Amino acid sequence: MIIQLHRIEVISRNDMDMIDLTPEVDRLVESSGADRGIVFILTAHTTSGIVVTEGVECLERDIPAHLERLAPKEPPVGGYGYYHNRLLDFDGRMGYNAADHLKSVIGGINTFFSIEHGKVVRGGRQRVYFVEYDGPLARTVFIQIMGEA
Amino acid sequence: MKGGIDFHTHPILVREMIELHPELAHAARETYNCGNNFQPLQVMLLEMDISGIDRAVVLPIDATTSRNTTVYTNEQIVEVCEMSDRLIGFASVDPHLETAPRTLERAIKELGLRGLKLAPAMQEFYADDHLAWPVYACAQELGIPILFHAGLTWEPGSRLKYGHPLRFEDVAAEFPKLNIVLAHLAWPWVVDAVALALKYPNVHLDTSALFFDNPRDFLHYAMTQQVPLTVFERSLRRQLLFGSDNPRIEIKSMARAIRNIGLSPECLELVFRKNAETLLGESR
Repeated sequence: MIIQLHRIEVISRNDMDMIDLTPEVDRLVESSGADRGIVFILTAHTTSGIVVTEGVECLERDIPAHLERLAPKEPPVGGYGYYHNRLLDFDGRMGYNAADHLKSVIGGINTFFSIEHGKVVRGGRQRVYFVEYDGPLARTVFIQIMGEA
Repeated sequence: MKGGIDFHTHPILVREMIELHPELAHAARETYNCGNNFQPLQVMLLEMDISGIDRAVVLPIDATTSRNTTVYTNEQIVEVCEMSDRLIGFASVDPHLETAPRTLERAIKELGLRGLKLAPAMQEFYADDHLAWPVYACAQELGIPILFHAGLTWEPGSRLKYGHPLRFEDVAAEFPKLNIVLAHLAWPWVVDAVALALKYPNVHLDTSALFFDNPRDFLHYAMTQQVPLTVFERSLRRQLLFGSDNPRIEIKSMARAIRNIGLSPECLELVFRKNAETLLGESR
């Protein structure tokens, strides 16, 4: 049984960003020695996400933009507010990124793929992305590989 | 608008510095009380990029007497500034120590630092206590600005009483050629801070205030409801500086809030760049 946990660092460059992790996931799986099994991809952070979608620039714009419409960083003036916008005494800073937590909840924080013949099994259009909702930041992504040689 | 200057940042989460000086982790967590992940310096520079900020003032705090520690020494500030020419280093000295003026003079003349940071609440002195007079005289002689913490503080053990704007009036009056900046709009005492700045042209305010809600709503309250925005637009346009208080507050959110608060483009140019350049001796 092969069980490997990799921690990779991703540096987002914008407030919201989509970073294609597919080549790194493929590389780690193919070098793991696992012939068949499963690979899990999980972000370590609560204001980021993992999504699977088609790898085209237009969707890399549309997905964060739509999540921003669903959970705007600044709620409508005079409308609703976020309880999270307060001092977080355990962090010594204001938690005014409630919307980014909500985007993470809506968009999801993990995914998984099967491994067959030593390679990741996914649809021809599917790419796996790390999605930043509160960047730029250096982020950690866990890649857990479980399989048999 | 040309890129701006963030006049108020603390480099306490810079990962490269933590790796070089592990004791800075304790200063960040326990003394300064900031629990966020340590980040490569590149992240701060990227955030400045997306915020339209070219350069940032990085601040230490010398709390040797009150806390038996420093949140960055002057030498460590020099070290982080050597990692990027976009950082402008300030010094800090402990006013309780007789050596403070000499330390300041060395920091400016030999280390090349550009201003002085004092945090009365953490350093436990009143700004108008004459124990600090030699430091002010030295700063005035050197022609450097002093950035004072003012108003509410999140640091554990630091008392609000040290941050009231009226504790700075004697300094402004007795050292008329010394430029002083009251940080955080001295919130909650914004009216008092504005009164001081109206009376004393050597008193400046920085915008690094966020104590509830989000930057947009908080600054709208502090700068348009506690006092009318026109006081900044018309009377204090040359005495207001953009500051974020990063990493306690993100540069990107504060910059967006100030840019959208309703000040004219000419006033924003002063707030984001020219006023800082004037205090740093880069323009007149």
